[in-house]
Amino acid sequence: MFHALFRSIFRVLPLLLVLSPVNSSSCAMGNKTEIRVKYENILSHDVDELVNMSAEYRDRCCKNKKHENSKVFFCNDTQEIESLQSMACNMLRFFHKQKISKDFRWKAALVSCRTLQVLQCKCERHKKEKVCTQVNTHNTEDTETSEQSKKKCNQEFCELKENISSLRSCWNKFEKIISR
Amino acid sequence: MLRMTQMSTVLSIFVLFLHTTFGESGCTSADGDGTFGDDEPDNFEFDCFSQLEFKDSYSSLTCNFTELPPHHTNYSLALCTKEDSNYVCFNMEKQEDAYFLQFTDILSNKDICMVSEMKRRVCRSLVVTDIVKPEVPFNINITYQKEANEYLIHYSTPHSWKKYLKDKLIHQIAYRQEEGTWKTIESPYLQVKLLGKNLENDASYEVKVRSQPNGDYFKGMWSEWSASKSFRTTRELHSTETYSSVVVVILSILGFMLSIVMIVLMVTFWENRIKPAVWPNLPDHKKTLEQLCKKPKNNFDISFNPESFGYVHIHKVDGIRAKAELENFLQPSTAPETNLPEKFRNGSDLKMIPVTTDKSNLNPSVTYRGIWPAEALHRLLGTSQFAATEGNCGSSTYEVCHSNGVPLCKDGFNLSSAPPQDPSGQPGPEPLSGDTASQMLPTREMRSPNNEEAYVTMSSFYKIQ
Repeated sequence: MFHALFRSIFRVLPLLLVLSPVNSSSCAMGNKTEIRVKYENILSHDVDELVNMSAEYRDRCCKNKKHENSKVFFCNDTQEIESLQSMACNMLRFFHKQKISKDFRWKAALVSCRTLQVLQCKCERHKKEKVCTQVNTHNTEDTETSEQSKKKCNQEFCELKENISSLRSCWNKFEKIISR
Repeated sequence: MLRMTQMSTVLSIFVLFLHTTFGESGCTSADGDGTFGDDEPDNFEFDCFSQLEFKDSYSSLTCNFTELPPHHTNYSLALCTKEDSNYVCFNMEKQEDAYFLQFTDILSNKDICMVSEMKRRVCRSLVVTDIVKPEVPFNINITYQKEANEYLIHYSTPHSWKKYLKDKLIHQIAYRQEEGTWKTIESPYLQVKLLGKNLENDASYEVKVRSQPNGDYFKGMWSEWSASKSFRTTRELHSTETYSSVVVVILSILGFMLSIVMIVLMVTFWENRIKPAVWPNLPDHKKTLEQLCKKPKNNFDISFNPESFGYVHIHKVDGIRAKAELENFLQPSTAPETNLPEKFRNGSDLKMIPVTTDKSNLNPSVTYRGIWPAEALHRLLGTSQFAATEGNCGSSTYEVCHSNGVPLCKDGFNLSSAPPQDPSGQPGPEPLSGDTASQMLPTREMRSPNNEEAYVTMSSFYKIQ
């Protein structure tokens, strides 16, 4: 009796493993040439525009601030795609931060969504679907807030600026690798 | 037991097959909901084009039906995107004969679906970056470059200040003569040049421009034509104009140089030549007289006062002239001989023999006062007459003391002895010159009893001269 039970369990378990979703990784193995082309022709312009927009805001108060998720800002060698995914998903958190300028938040979310789209990645907590849907439709219902003064500075704003800078650096690094 | 195991294995394999089949596959049904009941293809065709960065970060999609559906049926178009196993569709807005939609996602693959009233849906895949239609160029400017004989055509495009299509377009320039055939030029830049030699002279031309993605990543179609711009070419006198302009320049330079030379000459010769000729001075009598008459030398004494000539050295009478005059005087003539004996009859002293010569022969050389050589007097008066003289005849010379019957010597006045003459009768050591007016006797010895008459004589000398 027990032998039959064990045999059935041990045979089912492999089936369960087979029946589990095929892709368990959050990023698909996309064509690097296609990634490079999409980045050079479209995404790079958006990243530059976001960086220029970020530079318009004063960040004197951001020099001595320490961030909680400092690990997010590292672009690990041989793990550039994963690093970019982590940065993009982290940036989506700021889409609902009302202390930050609406246009700035929307642009940052757009870059995050396109980064995930080019890399064919998903976020762990499935926040991407809702935010990117709103971004693509430019739904401003949840983003209505007072315009942030460019003179004011807050913790979230500083963290977002650093996130943007890290994203740009990591993309430059990854582009050089895939352009070889 | 064995049968149960086999059945479970078969079922698991079957389930696995189904899972693999439906696990990651997309919905390819026309409905988009997994059913295949409405996959009948329709023959309605429509064309779509996209415009990137139509408004800020939004792009647009515009679709037109090439074959209109039947009027009794209403259709709508929707743009669908698959996101994480979800099929999200956005209905397009109908605007007159076209369907329009704004969106931001231009990276993912999309489907364009036509939905009928009966919920039938026909979809077709669509890549937004492959159906790009750029915006219309504008602001065409034509500039003629005379030196190169070229027409520079410059234009602008809205994509110059946008992100995606900047420097990724090809522009087509079309030009034609009035109502002629269009000729085209393609360029990736925002300006082109038309050679003047390839165009008709003095003709009107029309130019228009349109754009298209260059095809490296973005593909698509030509934009609409821009507004036409007309211009007129120059006349054929280009070469002749150049020649005439060169001639004009050379002539102007020569004229300028000539005017400068004329000015310099006028300034240089104004006082000396031009002004006297153009504005001659009125003659001044005094100056004219001075110009006519020779100016005397600085040492020349212009004075008619005999006293001022006291320092003047009296030159001897020219011997030849004296001889000539003496011969004239010695010629037989009653007048002088008759007078002679009367004079010598006095015998007391020597007196000047009045020499009455012909006035016509009177000249300063004759009327001067000179010292007659003794031989001449001897011949004239005879030796006997001379012997009767007194000791005063020791001097061999005699001085004439009369001239023109005017006694010139005072009584008892001894004539100064003159150097003895050469017995041969040669002229004296100081022959007289032609200008014998200067032969003046010392005024203190031969003073005329009448000074006014002497002045008259001197002035007459001056006048005759």
